[in-house]
Amino acid sequence: MKEVIHTYKLTKQYKKKTVVNELDMIVREESIYGFLGPNGAGKSTTLKILLGLVKPTSGEADILGKKLNSQNRLSILKNIGSLIESPSYYGHLTARENLQIIQTILDLPKKNIDAVLKTVRLDKQEGKKVSEYSLGMKQRLGLASALINMPKLLILDEPTNGLDPSGIQEIRELIRSLPKEYGMTVIVSSHLLSEIDQMVDDVGIIANGRMMYQGRLNKLHMLDEGKSLEEIFLDLTGKEASL
Amino acid sequence: MIKLIKCEYLKTRRRYILPVTLGITAMYLALLFYGEYSDDALRQGWWALLYQLPLLNTMFMPILCIVVASRLCGLEHKGATFKQLFTLTSKGSLFTAKLIYGLGIITVPILIQFAAIYIAGCYLGFGGVYPLNLYLIYLLSTLLTTYAIYVFQHCMSMLFKNQAVSFFVGIGGEFTGLFSMFLPQIPCLRKILIWGYYGDMQFVGNNWDRETRINDFYLMDINYAAFFIITTVAVLMYLIGKKLFTDKEV
Ligand SMILES: Nc1ncnc2c1ncn2[C@@H]1O[C@H](COP(=O)(O)OP(=O)(O)O)[C@@H](O)[C@H]1O
Ligand SMILES: [Mg+2]
Repeated sequence: MKEVIHTYKLTKQYKKKTVVNELDMIVREESIYGFLGPNGAGKSTTLKILLGLVKPTSGEADILGKKLNSQNRLSILKNIGSLIESPSYYGHLTARENLQIIQTILDLPKKNIDAVLKTVRLDKQEGKKVSEYSLGMKQRLGLASALINMPKLLILDEPTNGLDPSGIQEIRELIRSLPKEYGMTVIVSSHLLSEIDQMVDDVGIIANGRMMYQGRLNKLHMLDEGKSLEEIFLDLTGKEASL
Repeated sequence: MIKLIKCEYLKTRRRYILPVTLGITAMYLALLFYGEYSDDALRQGWWALLYQLPLLNTMFMPILCIVVASRLCGLEHKGATFKQLFTLTSKGSLFTAKLIYGLGIITVPILIQFAAIYIAGCYLGFGGVYPLNLYLIYLLSTLLTTYAIYVFQHCMSMLFKNQAVSFFVGIGGEFTGLFSMFLPQIPCLRKILIWGYYGDMQFVGNNWDRETRINDFYLMDINYAAFFIITTVAVLMYLIGKKLFTDKEV
């Protein structure tokens, strides 16, 4: 089994507060990894560390076989696509014009723009200004930006946040198709088990910056045979959160 | 770097940054040339302009810098795009590319003004020979001071999400700069503020004779040290701003 990500005691402190606490995260190649935890658990901070946007206080991260540091950061990131928290976009530009900026910086072929617009099904509305888009469409544009370099690893932070059920379903299907179709590995975070339980292979459950469970989703129920997944998730995160 | 500068152009499409800049420049030129010219004024036209321009530049150029820098940087804050851009390129090169693009834009009105003065002077029939050497020194002093102010506005607009911060600090600087022009008694005021350097580098003085109502312009010493100081300050502000921007986490 090849690992795309392996972190060693990753820790991030803000002032006195430990937001990510000795996190060991392991993500298998071509899997979909669900990164679960309540709001404020440290998901976004962890993902930002993996992208080199935030420096860890201590600990290390191996990504795509290399130890992440400030020198090799950009060369590693060439193989990663990401969508962190809310999508980034220029509202006065169209979807195509937004993607053109990333395509130019990364020196990618123009046809990638057409390909990703089609993948996220924005090809019909590509000429509209993004400020006129619905939240779901903006989220899909964010996904298109993350996919434009055909990355080996895709990091999506709460991509279904604020979407209606049909929007959630659409993104879920899209994510589900990526490992088989393009050989991608996907990390997708959420604070709701129900949003990702049908699409992920593995889960990492985080509460107060600590990893509470990591492994196959279908092994999670073995923690307590008598309970539903939802109850186990709440047990894992709730107990720690109330400490 | 070329790629990143091209991206700055791509980002600002339909933001009308250059047209707005040109509009402000047109207003400036209208103010500069508006009015009746007496024979005496025409005779001394080239010198009179060199005397008046530093004050007008102190009024207009900082505003131009505020507008251009806020427009260029505001769209990144508004769209929360920095966190995405930082995964594509380094913060430092992004900071520099946007600065170069902004300096390019801000150069256009200065060159237009320079050319317009020559054309209008010839057209109106200013007396004597066009003092090209002096105008070139004037051009250099205007470029350097405006660049320094632009670097300052760029740093403010990049570091502070709320563009009102860079606006009010910039306007505050501009007013202090204007104030310093009217207080030659306190020369240090125009030396310690970048907005005072249009006045500090002024090299044409004026005697106004109350009796004869005649203006008499004369050449003062050219303050070469100021050229050096303002350039150094601009470079330092760039380095500090870039460091602060690079150290900021999203
Ligand atoms: N820049 C920061 N400075 C101080 N505290 C922060 C900062 N960023 C995040 N935090 C805190 O870290 C904790 C975890 O945040 P985050 O990683 O965004 O959680 P999640 O994404 O799981 O909801 C929160 O309590 C948040 O307030
Ligand atoms: Mg979050």
